[in-house]
Amino acid sequence: MDYTKKIMYQSNSWYNDGLRKAQVRDMSGGAIVSLQQSLQYNRENIAARNLLGLVYYGIGGEVSEALVEWIISKNLCPRDNIADYYIKNVQNSANELESLNQAIKKFNQCLVYCQQNGGEDLAIIQLKQVIASHPTFLKAYQLLALIYIQMNQNTKARQILIEAKKLDTTNELTLTYLQEVTKQRGRYGKNAERSFRKPKSATVEYSLGNETIIQPKRSKIRDMAQQLAFANILIGMVLGAALIWFLVAPAVNQNRSEKLNNQMRAYSEQINTLEAQVSAQTRTLDQYRTAGDEAQKAVDQAKATSDSYEKLLQVSSQSRSGEYSYTDMADALLEITRDSLGDSGKEMYDTLSDSIFPTACRRRYAAGVDSLESEDYDQAIEYLTKVVKMDESYNDGQAIYRLAQAYQGKGDTENAKTWYQKMVDTYNNSRYIEDAKKQLAILNGDASADTSSDTSADSSSVSEDSENSDDSNSYDNSQDNGDYDNSDNTEDNE
Amino acid sequence: MLNYEEELKKFKPSLEVDQIEEAVYKEDLTDMQDIVKEVMAKKEKTVRR
Repeated sequence: MDYTKKIMYQSNSWYNDGLRKAQVRDMSGGAIVSLQQSLQYNRENIAARNLLGLVYYGIGGEVSEALVEWIISKNLCPRDNIADYYIKNVQNSANELESLNQAIKKFNQCLVYCQQNGGEDLAIIQLKQVIASHPTFLKAYQLLALIYIQMNQNTKARQILIEAKKLDTTNELTLTYLQEVTKQRGRYGKNAERSFRKPKSATVEYSLGNETIIQPKRSKIRDMAQQLAFANILIGMVLGAALIWFLVAPAVNQNRSEKLNNQMRAYSEQINTLEAQVSAQTRTLDQYRTAGDEAQKAVDQAKATSDSYEKLLQVSSQSRSGEYSYTDMADALLEITRDSLGDSGKEMYDTLSDSIFPTACRRRYAAGVDSLESEDYDQAIEYLTKVVKMDESYNDGQAIYRLAQAYQGKGDTENAKTWYQKMVDTYNNSRYIEDAKKQLAILNGDASADTSSDTSADSSSVSEDSENSDDSNSYDNSQDNGDYDNSDNTEDNE
Repeated sequence: MLNYEEELKKFKPSLEVDQIEEAVYKEDLTDMQDIVKEVMAKKEKTVRR
């Protein structure tokens, strides 16, 4: 037999061996070795090379090795080569290839971590991520198991190795580590393993899928830290509120007060304007009122003038007719306001009063004295007041003196004092002046005058009586008749 | 008992994707036929001498 054929037979034999092992996932220890052997006999055994690439692909972390084999295979046999399909398949899933490449880089990085002191924890984390993303990454399982064995976490290592064994049943490393884990468990037992762990009370361990998750238990310190954090949040809120209260609120209040002040200023200006308008209108109203009052006065004056003239004409006609008493005409004349009359009216008024008042005064005075003596003070005041209006100096001021007496008798001290005082001031030479002074002193509460007043009063009354008698002598003609009105009538008739 | 350091040395970094080209070129494709041919060539040279 030609040696070439023998070599090819040998190569095919190794290929068959590799295929058989690959079918039972005897990868790195079996299929890879057999297929590499086959290729060493015949490098152009395309089937063996393609299968070797597929076996590399199947153990996850050797995708690049698989691509290398497939690329060489394609170069050796460009046509009808299944490697072409594999390459295109990988190229089409670029994201997956990139993800796989990242996992490979992480794995390589984990190797570096493990060679450093204390990098195992970081390596465990990264390897877990690699396994989670690519569950067929055999070398990641093995390295993770080795780290767990180094950390005496044999249970975890065992779980990882069991998973790894499913990927590659006869892998030398996997089997070696499994044996080591079994030895460790047998040597120390479960208690020994527990001793390497953290205290059980300090951790909580549970499984999530293929992973075992270990979390630290809640501790008092952690609880206290949480409470402290809560207290810190509360303190922060209080500080924030205080900050707002002391810094922000004053600014807001100031703005508000400024706005209020501005509003107050605006309102006060409006009020001032309105007040000015009101005062102007008030002045205008006052002017109107003044004008109205003046007009009313003018109207009243005109009416008074008209009435005065009317009465004056009435008295004049009464005087001419001779049918009216002097006292009635005098009363009518007294109702006339002399100042409201014109010059001719005043002249007529004076003429009439000169002719009427003397007689009327005499009769009214007599009637007033009569009423005074009969203690009818109101009547006396009425008659004597008319006498005084007609002729204040009548009978040397005696009418004023009698009027004061009437007021005194009535008890109207103020008016009595007024008329006594007028008597004293005006008619100083009257013969009744002393009596008037004494009465005034009595009314003013002078005691000395009071003591002497009895005698003087008596004397005055005596003298008065005598005066009355004197006076009566002068107008007895009328008084003697008893009825003044009748006498008036008779006199008028005369 | 495993020696951790020694075991770590058994782990070789995986080939990254951007290193594939270099790996293809470095691949040793020598097979048994090449060796036999080389041996036979050397034998013929010896016989001629």
